[in-house]
Amino acid sequence: MTEADKNMTTNQEQQPLLDVRDLQVDFTADGRTVHAVRDASFNVYPGQWVAIVGESGSGKSTSAMAVLGLLPGTGKVTGGSIKLNGRELVGLDRKDYEALRGSQVGLVPQDPMSNLNPVWRIGSQVKEALTANHMDVSREKRSRLAKALAGDEEVTLKKSDDELFISSKDLPGLLEAARQALSDAGVADVDKTMEALKAEWDVGSETRWGVAKSLIDAGVDDDAAWKLAKEHVTGSDMDDRIAGLLSEAGLPEAATRARQYPHEFSGGMRQRALIAIGLASRPDLLIADEPTSALDVTVQKRILDHLRNLTESLGTAVLFITHDLGLAAERAQHIVVMYRGQVVESGPSLEVLQHPQHPYTKRLVQAAPSLASQRIISAKQRGQDAEDLLEHHVKGESTLERSEHVITVEHLTREFRLPRRKEMFKAVDDVSFSVKRGTTLAIVGESGSGKSTVANMVLHLLKPTSGRVTYEGQDIAGFGSHELMEFRRHVQPVFQNPYGSLDPMYSIYRSIEEPLRIHKIGNAKSRQKRVKELLDMVEMPESVMGRYPNELSGGQRQRIAIARAMALNPDVIICDEAVSALDVLVQDQVLRLLNDLQAEQGLSYLFITHDLAVVRQIADEVVVMQHGRLVEHATTDEVFDHPQRQYTKDLLDAIPGGKLRLGLD
Amino acid sequence: MSETAMNESSEQNESQARVYFPDPLPGQERFVAPIDETPLREVDSVDEDVPPTSMWADAWKTLRRNPLFIISSILAIVVILVALFPNLFARQDPMACSLSDSLEPGRPGHPLGFDLQGCDVYSRVIHGARTSVAIGIMTTILVTVFGGLIGAIAGFFGGWVDAVLSRITDIFFAIPMILGAIVLLQMFRTSTSLWKIILTLTLFGWVNMARITRSAVLEAKNLEFNTASTALGSTPLRNLFRHIMPNSLAPVIVMATMSLGTYIVSEATLSFLGIGLPSTVVSWGGDISTAQNLLTTNPSVLFYPSAALAITVLAFIMMGDAVKDALDPKSRTA
Repeated sequence: MTEADKNMTTNQEQQPLLDVRDLQVDFTADGRTVHAVRDASFNVYPGQWVAIVGESGSGKSTSAMAVLGLLPGTGKVTGGSIKLNGRELVGLDRKDYEALRGSQVGLVPQDPMSNLNPVWRIGSQVKEALTANHMDVSREKRSRLAKALAGDEEVTLKKSDDELFISSKDLPGLLEAARQALSDAGVADVDKTMEALKAEWDVGSETRWGVAKSLIDAGVDDDAAWKLAKEHVTGSDMDDRIAGLLSEAGLPEAATRARQYPHEFSGGMRQRALIAIGLASRPDLLIADEPTSALDVTVQKRILDHLRNLTESLGTAVLFITHDLGLAAERAQHIVVMYRGQVVESGPSLEVLQHPQHPYTKRLVQAAPSLASQRIISAKQRGQDAEDLLEHHVKGESTLERSEHVITVEHLTREFRLPRRKEMFKAVDDVSFSVKRGTTLAIVGESGSGKSTVANMVLHLLKPTSGRVTYEGQDIAGFGSHELMEFRRHVQPVFQNPYGSLDPMYSIYRSIEEPLRIHKIGNAKSRQKRVKELLDMVEMPESVMGRYPNELSGGQRQRIAIARAMALNPDVIICDEAVSALDVLVQDQVLRLLNDLQAEQGLSYLFITHDLAVVRQIADEVVVMQHGRLVEHATTDEVFDHPQRQYTKDLLDAIPGGKLRLGLD
Repeated sequence: MSETAMNESSEQNESQARVYFPDPLPGQERFVAPIDETPLREVDSVDEDVPPTSMWADAWKTLRRNPLFIISSILAIVVILVALFPNLFARQDPMACSLSDSLEPGRPGHPLGFDLQGCDVYSRVIHGARTSVAIGIMTTILVTVFGGLIGAIAGFFGGWVDAVLSRITDIFFAIPMILGAIVLLQMFRTSTSLWKIILTLTLFGWVNMARITRSAVLEAKNLEFNTASTALGSTPLRNLFRHIMPNSLAPVIVMATMSLGTYIVSEATLSFLGIGLPSTVVSWGGDISTAQNLLTTNPSVLFYPSAALAITVLAFIMMGDAVKDALDPKSRTA
């Protein structure tokens, strides 16, 4: 009963901002109807973060796009209702939807690289978002216009809209006056307070009210503070407002940045610009469609932290779409898990995470790399030796020391000449490590840290400027063509992009057979047998032999790439971000496969990744790289338990959901 | 969910830095879908029901459904058959002319009448197809082989090889095909060989093909599967023939089918200008040229060879268009 009462009271207090009931979205292709979303229901309350979690194709993005009325292609809402602030959106005509987008629902899209127009300055693109929603004139003018249109009747303007911002013209005067006021009020450390205020008062972002409040907080009395704020905060112009929005989104030197073009921005900066655009017209609901999946983990953390603070201060609700359960649980209060177009589980995030009930959710929780606490134990080993389960699984330091070094890298350096620059750019700077037989060494670093360059040098695809790579004690730089073939036979790569590393014109059979052909191994019959074996090894049915890469998913292609790499029975496999492009479940599957293969065949892996969470699942040793230098080198446990460098600590901190505790029922 | 579990989770909630909503809001209570409603599938399993396809199979499927392709290929097949076996279609010898028949209208056995020389128009139109089609097809083959090779070498090797070959291409690009052909063919006015036309058209026509191939090879060269192949032990030349060439074939095929028609037009143009084949060789261009004076008096003599030429060219260009649509990489999902 009490529960029900409580619900009654909350009900009166709060209405859901977004209420989706029994949503049904269909796509038609070749005359067939595909139900992309079936009977999905969820809601979002004002100011709340709600996450929709699921694998690709689960209907999570489709549901969000249905809310925005931006379903791609043949997509159509065929049933259910979507209510925003009590207003039905299904069946809304195009004009009304246009008015709604931006001003009431904002979007932060997934790919920061393709969602900004390369020929327009960042500032113009923010301005576009403002003008499209008529936020480009001052509030007074807006209300005058509205009054003129509506006659003499009282016009209600949006609440969050009645702000006047500091303009760049006002700022010097304001700072002068504030300093005066502070010293008049007898504040002890005027300089220090002024520094703090200067940092706080962003042009085009801080409001009159905010200025008054921070002055009052600093010790100026109410009347004086308000008088000062009224006098010196008279409203910003367009450029100031754009700069203000960009600095709110976390871009430093926003006024300069606004005049730059997208290509001058890094991925993280572009995503910040997109956040600024999404929030420009102060929507009630922001839809963030995997906003950080293309970014490094440390950047992801910074951006999401910032987005949380920003939406909290603006009171914006966020519908957050992700495939990573750990990330969702950390960021959202409410989680909606979608699978094959249906909502399979929803509830308060921690509860869902700690007591997952639907088998799919359980699977997600198990697979989430961010939540894994130790190295994956190979199923094969598990079968053989039950005690292994109890024992710590990372190979001990003594084992590592005893093992033979398969690949040794000594003082490896690689320089590149940059266009229009005199000095050489050191992509890799004096890196040394060695891969021991039967173990995994992971190289971790953000994009641009030089880790892939190391991989290419180890693979003899790129010549080092100095230093050397040895394989089985021989310097690979001195290999003649015969020795190089032999080396290629033993050291195989698996590349990052599963869409690019298989020739689209080659059938799967031909792709896997290629290394056997190149090395002239066996005849047609024995090769076919070997290909079947390899497919079985990567758990793919034989029927895929006649298929082409474009018919397979990313994870399936990556498994084919692994089969191809295994064809010659190599000793070492170099995985360059081999799982980075995959969904968590598929990623988990591929990692387990790699791990099983290692246990069965005694392979050594050089595993290159930007994701420390993955490292914990697969690696025995870790090398952390930053700006081309090796900053830390230790066993995986050592790195996770006692990180020595600040950079490593930052990377560890950035693992989403890393601090959440969970149990599996 | 048990009572204890609830307590546990709310405790967890409170221990977090921020407590947003201690109790679930209405509509946000715990919900678990019945498991049998969405049964779990194996992670990332291959859908074996869908029949396997390849790029070529897909392209063929698209082509088969394209009416443009069906019409154009029927026309092309008819034209090629006529070119191969003209005697099956016209009994009359195109060279057996008698001046007594000059400009006679059609009569049984001579459906389209006679031209100024008293030759059978129908027979000349039928026999003229061979010249046009042979020149069109041979030129296309030579242009594809020669231009494709130059383009592939330039794109693949890059550096100074590319620089030199590209400049040579530019030089030829600067010469208008017809103008170049006029100058060159002046020297061989009396020769009746089709090869003089074919070689001349090739000489001034390979440039476009070279450019297309070069850019396709450049694009394919930088794709990751080449790196992967190199790491497997493949040599650069093997990569060129096994990976890069097949992957740059599509634009080359499109270019070839589309330009076939233009070569036929060029041949007709040259014959019309009187520097192509001499009048002893039956060709549409030559017939159009001799009939132009009769435009006002006997337009039908001019009309039939022109119509044959137009239909043939249209067929090949339409076919090229359909092939282009089918092989368009943008419509193919990678």
